[in-house]
Amino acid sequence: MFEPGRPLPIALIMPGNVRAGQVISLVEVTGGLGAKVDVPRLADELGADIAVLLGVLDAAEMLGLVKSEKGVVYLTELGLKFQKASKNKVRMLKERLASIEPFRTALDLSSKGRPITAGQVADSLSEIGIKWHYQPDLNEALIKTLLVHWTIYGGLMSYDGKTGKFQKL
Amino acid sequence: MSEVPSQIHGGKIISVDNISLVYYKEKEPLPVLADVSLTAGKDQLVAITGPSGCGKSTLLRIMAGLTKATSGTVKVLDSEVTGPRADITMVFQNFVLLPWRTSLENVLFGLSSRTDLTEGQKLDKAKKALEETGLMGFENVYPGELSGGMKQRVGVARALATDPEVMLMDEPFSSLDDLTAERLRREIHELLINPSTSVKTVIMVSHNVEEIIELADKAIVLSQRPAHVAGEVKIDLPRPRNKKSEEFFKWVDKVYSLLS
Repeated sequence: MFEPGRPLPIALIMPGNVRAGQVISLVEVTGGLGAKVDVPRLADELGADIAVLLGVLDAAEMLGLVKSEKGVVYLTELGLKFQKASKNKVRMLKERLASIEPFRTALDLSSKGRPITAGQVADSLSEIGIKWHYQPDLNEALIKTLLVHWTIYGGLMSYDGKTGKFQKL
Repeated sequence: MSEVPSQIHGGKIISVDNISLVYYKEKEPLPVLADVSLTAGKDQLVAITGPSGCGKSTLLRIMAGLTKATSGTVKVLDSEVTGPRADITMVFQNFVLLPWRTSLENVLFGLSSRTDLTEGQKLDKAKKALEETGLMGFENVYPGELSGGMKQRVGVARALATDPEVMLMDEPFSSLDDLTAERLRREIHELLINPSTSVKTVIMVSHNVEEIIELADKAIVLSQRPAHVAGEVKIDLPRPRNKKSEEFFKWVDKVYSLLS
């Protein structure tokens, strides 16, 4: 449940269609191009649709891996470290992820090691007006996908598909 | 970027000799493959390409022992392939995971016929294979909850867990978006062509010529049906391969010229 007094998370909302692997590719390719590249070149190098790429760029920027200015993308210091890491890259983003929705709410709800469902996270976020989709069932499914993809890679939560429950690690 | 020397290619691991396949439609012969021969050596990734519908995947199924050829032989380390066997494994384009089983259970399913292993050993192998493919923590997740790239990682983990010597891959990256495929290609190559795994050779079917030049040591180009080998290109480019280099495109052109 949303607690009164808790600051509203205004900007840090993970785009619903972005996955960890896409962010990793973006950072690796940007690094390979000298850590500074313009967006059209990046789209060309990645063979990615620009609309898809912009969502990935938003996520990478939110995670502190890149900065973009006037159509040019730069790797940050963290981005450079992330690019060079050979394994468990997403774990380097653990703290950042914990401040982004829906992960932040999921971690709060499971703060005492209580298993929670994506539905509980969706309800809690709906109360403060954060939704990825106007249809409740699709919204819940999207939140579940985001939680599965990011919190397990990030070492933040475990997930049991048999119960559909997430638990803070 | 540091250059890694190309793989040292040793003995022949798999040899396909004069494979022909004829189907019959209303008693009329429909030749699919005509006298196809190829070899793949130790630590090689060999790519098979050709026009759509020419029989690339059928050839791969024959190599896996899943389809019987009309004539010709497939040998792995001089032993003839007469049916599915433990030392040959296959990774499919559409992952072919059982949706009612978790990632771990899907990998364990690949080990179900291994009577030489205890249940505990199977579990250890399955967990290790998931870890190697970057899926640690995803053991209890169902395929429907995974992205395309992650599903393919489970497919590769299932194949790796069986300790195969030959890994056959049928368009393994074609169902994935470009960003996901880009990363998975690099990882899979590093993972498979690596002395720490049992895999001695990889044969990959692909229609993506750039993907072939990026990954393969050799490209086998098949002709229109009935398919025969239109040409063989040994790709002697140092790794990691720069997809934007002039040299890279020369190899791409070389394969395209055989396709057209």
